[in-house]
Amino acid sequence: MVKNKKILFIIIAILALIPIITRTKAVLNAIILLLIFATLGEAWNIITGFAGQTSFGHAAFFGIGAYTSTIVFYRYNITPWVGLILGGIIAAVVAAIMSYPCFKLKGHYFAVATLAVAEIIKQIFVSWDYVEGATGISLPIIQRSSGFAKRLFYLQFNEKIPWVYICLVLFTAVILLCSYLENSKMGYYLKAIRESHEVAESIGINPTNYKLYAMLISAFISAICGSMYAQYILYIDPFMIFSLDISMKIVLLTVLGGVGNVFGPIIGASIFIPLSEFTRIKLGGSGTGVDLMIYGLLIILITCYQPKGVIGIVQKLTEKSKKTNVGGEGKIEATSGN
Amino acid sequence: MKSKLVLLLAVVFLTTSLLMGCGAQQQAPTETTEETEAPEEAEEPTTVETVRIGAILPLTGGAAATGVKLRAAMEVAQDIINGEYPELAKVPLAKEVGLPNLGNAKLEIIFADHQGNPEMAKSEAERLIEQGVAGLVGAYQSSCTKPASQAAEQYGVPFVAGSSSSAALTERGLNYFVRVAPNDDIETAMFFDYLIYLNDKYNADIKTVAVAYIDNEFGVHAKEMVEKWVKEKYGALGFELVGVVPYAVDVTNVDTEVQQIKSLNADAVFHASYIADITMFVNKYKEFKVAPKAVLNYCGGFQDTQFVVNLGSDSDYFAGGAAFSAEKLGDMPELAKINEFYKAKTGADLDGPALEEFSSVLVLAEAINIAKSLDGDAIIEVIKNTKFDAPYYATGAIKFDAKGQNEILASYMVQTQNGKYQAVYPEEIATAEPVVPIPDWDKRN
Repeated sequence: MVKNKKILFIIIAILALIPIITRTKAVLNAIILLLIFATLGEAWNIITGFAGQTSFGHAAFFGIGAYTSTIVFYRYNITPWVGLILGGIIAAVVAAIMSYPCFKLKGHYFAVATLAVAEIIKQIFVSWDYVEGATGISLPIIQRSSGFAKRLFYLQFNEKIPWVYICLVLFTAVILLCSYLENSKMGYYLKAIRESHEVAESIGINPTNYKLYAMLISAFISAICGSMYAQYILYIDPFMIFSLDISMKIVLLTVLGGVGNVFGPIIGASIFIPLSEFTRIKLGGSGTGVDLMIYGLLIILITCYQPKGVIGIVQKLTEKSKKTNVGGEGKIEATSGN
Repeated sequence: MKSKLVLLLAVVFLTTSLLMGCGAQQQAPTETTEETEAPEEAEEPTTVETVRIGAILPLTGGAAATGVKLRAAMEVAQDIINGEYPELAKVPLAKEVGLPNLGNAKLEIIFADHQGNPEMAKSEAERLIEQGVAGLVGAYQSSCTKPASQAAEQYGVPFVAGSSSSAALTERGLNYFVRVAPNDDIETAMFFDYLIYLNDKYNADIKTVAVAYIDNEFGVHAKEMVEKWVKEKYGALGFELVGVVPYAVDVTNVDTEVQQIKSLNADAVFHASYIADITMFVNKYKEFKVAPKAVLNYCGGFQDTQFVVNLGSDSDYFAGGAAFSAEKLGDMPELAKINEFYKAKTGADLDGPALEEFSSVLVLAEAINIAKSLDGDAIIEVIKNTKFDAPYYATGAIKFDAKGQNEILASYMVQTQNGKYQAVYPEEIATAEPVVPIPDWDKRN
């Protein structure tokens, strides 16, 4: 099912071991955000990396998930676990409604359309009183003395470690799903559509249907990440949750790691998120913005010199080493021939 | 390829973890006996060299200019606490070095940048708490104060907000949160009382009101407070809300909004705007010759002294609630001295939000001193049950109610006249008479 089982196992093992090595909140916070955004990157990779439909509007699904679980808890005191699934379903329905007409557009036009749809959804939430509009929602905090069972039920913890493992479970489930998808019939169909819409159609693949399936799965996962994020931050408002920043962060980290590869988002996130957190922690208090400059510069360098992302660098190195090995073997053979 | 990929990941994870871990450790407390792992486990200190508090501010991003000023105000408070200033004897903790009840321990403020992002505000609050801060102050933007104070609540660490004005902040039932600034609920009532004063004393005949507000947490809440007060009290006293004009957070042109305000023809316009927006509005008011009888501003852009710098004489006759007026310095020697320190750092006079953030540091430090402890429960108990002397405010004191709101209104009405913020209401603290109605644009000098 998973091509590189060993790598996946090692990644998960490293992530699982970090809370044992260090309990520093800043590190664990970076790991939690890393896992949430790597999962989001995986979700985005399904529609963009596999199916070739660039979406700049994934913050819309992320936000719908965040708002659904929050509202369900805030208004009806129902566990966020229910809201999490409900948010996924609502996001998938919204994705179906918005994607169907948008799939008629190609290339940049599709990307611009998703951006516009996300902006429309943001404006709806800004002026919708039922979801507290622009004022946002602070999630009610459960008592500090509450036991672990109650904390798990309401998804609120005094410690970061439960969050690390919950996000790790989610990430593992999603990466397994993506690996399965990548090598399934649907994965091949999506890649065929990505390479050539017309050729895929000519061999009997229905591009619209398969792109729609990919979008539904992608939106569902993004919404679950949104719910997790809202529960973790304990506050949401439309400007932070539907922001273009969120959409761009998803795109950026996946592109940084490598689009169309299940390991791309986790590589991108494991560089992008800790780098962002680290530069802010070390330099942010100075108020000079040096952290943002360094951070921006690194991104520019990677995107300029290796547009295929970090995966591209690894592939280049591997090819180089293979060539060297082949050359070396040839020399040995030649020597022995003499 | 596999091995290299794994190696790369491992290196990235371990390097960043190590670096971030080191970052936290480097700022660990010096020579203190309090526990720094978790605040709830903190033991009462016997001797403390340094007491640390955390300050979370927008030091980069859209509100960076304000954030840097607020940091300077907090640094002034830190300097006053850590130094000896007999001339400021009435200001708590100024007379002696440090916190006398904790062996004259020095106060250290650890600053953190939230960039105007609620997610970062929360993570910075947690990071500072982990470093063992005894309390938190900040975070200016209400949308960032909310998650940061939620984090403080979870760990039982007191949070004293200085200038965040959303009324919702003190409506969340938090036990470890208090706020110095008047909220937009209190400010709205003050605005209407001021209009009544103008009608009674100056025959201003102001009856209709419109609200222009930025479409975010700050603006929407201010608008809701106007609706509430008109419905509950001031409607019966003859005031009518004739319209509301929202504008987008990232607005770049306010032609349409100003035309809407003009068509509403309200006697008074209430503004909930930041500095960039209010500057645009005033320029367009001039262009379209819009001159309501009064324009009143919630704590935001108008109170920033940059308002006068940006607009020159066009800034005159606008009004708003503020905790500071440079024209009152003659009557308030402590405030004059504090302003002198602040001016030395920034080159500008204090403004309302800066003074409120200054006072948040003093309140937290005094509470720690009275509590003789770094324990969050002990500190918050003092904060909630003490009337703090604040000679730098016209009202002279700070006292928090059960919800954590400062119940002694620190603000008064100021109006810009000849480029200066004059106190105009209440009458007993006024430094000038209010100018009402605002002169038409073509009748100005």
